[in-house]
Amino acid sequence: MSFGRFLILLAALAPATFAQKPTFTVGWSVYVGWNPYYYMQKSGILKKWADKYGVSVKVQRFDYAPSLDAFVAKNIDACAMTNMEALDMPAAAGVDTTAIILGDYSNGNDAVMVRGGLTLAQIPGKQVLIVEKTVSQYLIERGMAMNGLEGQIKKMKYLNTSDSDIAAAFMTNPDKQVVVTWKPMASQIAKAKDVRTVFNSSQIPGEILDLLVVRTEVLKRPDGDKFAKAITGAWYEVMGQMTSAAPDKALTAIAEGSQDTLASYKEQLSTTHMFYTPQSAVQQVSAPDLKQTMDLVRKFCFAHALLGDKTASPDDVGIQFADGSTLGKADRVRLRFSPAYMQAASQGKL
Amino acid sequence: VNFLRIDARPARIPAWALSWFLFAAGVSAYFFAAQARHRENPDERVMPTVSQMATAFEAAATNPPGDQDGAESPKSWLERFRSSMLATDTLATARRFLISVALLFPAVLLGLHMAMFPYLGAFFLRFFQFFDKIVALSLLPILFIAFGIDELSKIALILIGVAPTVILDTVNLANSVPREQIVKGLTLGAGDFTIAYRIVLKQIWPRVMNSIRLNLKAVMLFLFAGEMIASTDGLAYRIALLRRHMGMETILPYVLWVAFLLFAVDLGMSTLNKKLHPWFVE
Repeated sequence: MSFGRFLILLAALAPATFAQKPTFTVGWSVYVGWNPYYYMQKSGILKKWADKYGVSVKVQRFDYAPSLDAFVAKNIDACAMTNMEALDMPAAAGVDTTAIILGDYSNGNDAVMVRGGLTLAQIPGKQVLIVEKTVSQYLIERGMAMNGLEGQIKKMKYLNTSDSDIAAAFMTNPDKQVVVTWKPMASQIAKAKDVRTVFNSSQIPGEILDLLVVRTEVLKRPDGDKFAKAITGAWYEVMGQMTSAAPDKALTAIAEGSQDTLASYKEQLSTTHMFYTPQSAVQQVSAPDLKQTMDLVRKFCFAHALLGDKTASPDDVGIQFADGSTLGKADRVRLRFSPAYMQAASQGKL
Repeated sequence: VNFLRIDARPARIPAWALSWFLFAAGVSAYFFAAQARHRENPDERVMPTVSQMATAFEAAATNPPGDQDGAESPKSWLERFRSSMLATDTLATARRFLISVALLFPAVLLGLHMAMFPYLGAFFLRFFQFFDKIVALSLLPILFIAFGIDELSKIALILIGVAPTVILDTVNLANSVPREQIVKGLTLGAGDFTIAYRIVLKQIWPRVMNSIRLNLKAVMLFLFAGEMIASTDGLAYRIALLRRHMGMETILPYVLWVAFLLFAVDLGMSTLNKKLHPWFVE
């Protein structure tokens, strides 16, 4: 084909390409509470909802850290992340972010595990295998604080270990006595002999929340609003299938998203508090507990410089709640919890 | 004009300007993109401005690591630098780097002996040819069992990744020494080791050093991988941590600092090579 013909072909194709529906990308990473995004796309549920609202929605799997990077760089429009990362990654980087779906909270998925009957009080000074500056560190330091060991936190010795290797690293090194991680790695480690869980996220229920966040500027556009409605509608249809009388077919397909078996996925679900109905999610997001949780989280982030070196006070990254009240500076709101779409779902308005 | 011809002879000044052109283009492209992003979002973190990076680098070079900055004791600039985050990280990484590079020299000797002594060649060569193709990073769990997750496993990862290449390259270089020289050595009554060390090694040494120089980047790559997998200090450890909160204003200077250090080591080895082997021409 000559170059001239190629240009003509390109020109002929161009209008077809540009006339397409607005396209939105959702990033997710492997985690029990986020695997449904994989199934949502594969089963065609997402396409059904996207067609209904006249938008096109793509779901893309990432590793967790790169998914956050992509969201902060505005390469993707929505992303599954925890409340802590929503605060210290996009919000702290000035990307105004709105949480539209509260999917679940970790109810035992994250755990502090030890060898040889060590207790929490004996952990300071011992090397701890952990992915530093994540919810894992939040978990172990909350555990210390709740057991009156707050003063010992300074003596913690962390060995920053990548999450993909942490299980192998802990199990093959008997001299390392403490590990903090999440499932499925945690399930694998818990099976080893002489290993015991001394603290897990079921002891801080509702503090490690898993969200779907969207850039606020996207939500404000009319097509962005449609996108949010479509993804919320699709999400609760999947939730419905997961709680139906015969959920195994859907659950098997969801487990496939992380190369998991049905049994293993069910085991992970047992320590995950899913908000299967939009009503329950709206209730949690509107509860006053959320403010206390976010206050703990932002103080943790600030104390560990996760809000950035320039940030002089945790108030500099404002958080707005369902009732319109804010934590931090009201003129610097960067993270918003919006019950609007979940509410619409619960009222059958999607 | 003939400036696009093979026999073109650029004058000093234009050649100098051309060689810096892409640097200038890259820096200014970054500068404009960063400015644009900062106009749009004052809290922008992905592309920090030059002044932000300068401040962050200065902080890294004067403040000790750790979340809480302890009591600020007035010390001399040098003392502050020695206990700074940058210096401790650099020291930790440099130690691992130098140990690994030093351990590449026994690998050179092994390669030499493999080429010189046919029975050793028969014993090792096929194995190393196979081993060279192994992607060491995928064997991590086994490395953890054999070497733990502390210093040893990081150095082992580097050696498993880089040493076979150096060994095989040395074998090739040693084999390229004309056979006649070895025969001549033998007829003049030289011993095996005299031939191996005084005739062959002596000749290939500058090329071996170049081979190690080319592998420095691979050494650094494996070292970074190791530090990102499990560690408590080092340049890559710091970068992995800073990524958790988009600390690009420190990450970018760190990356440049690593590039500068590698460049310095490379230049040092190249200079040493020229000093030691003034007779060597490529």
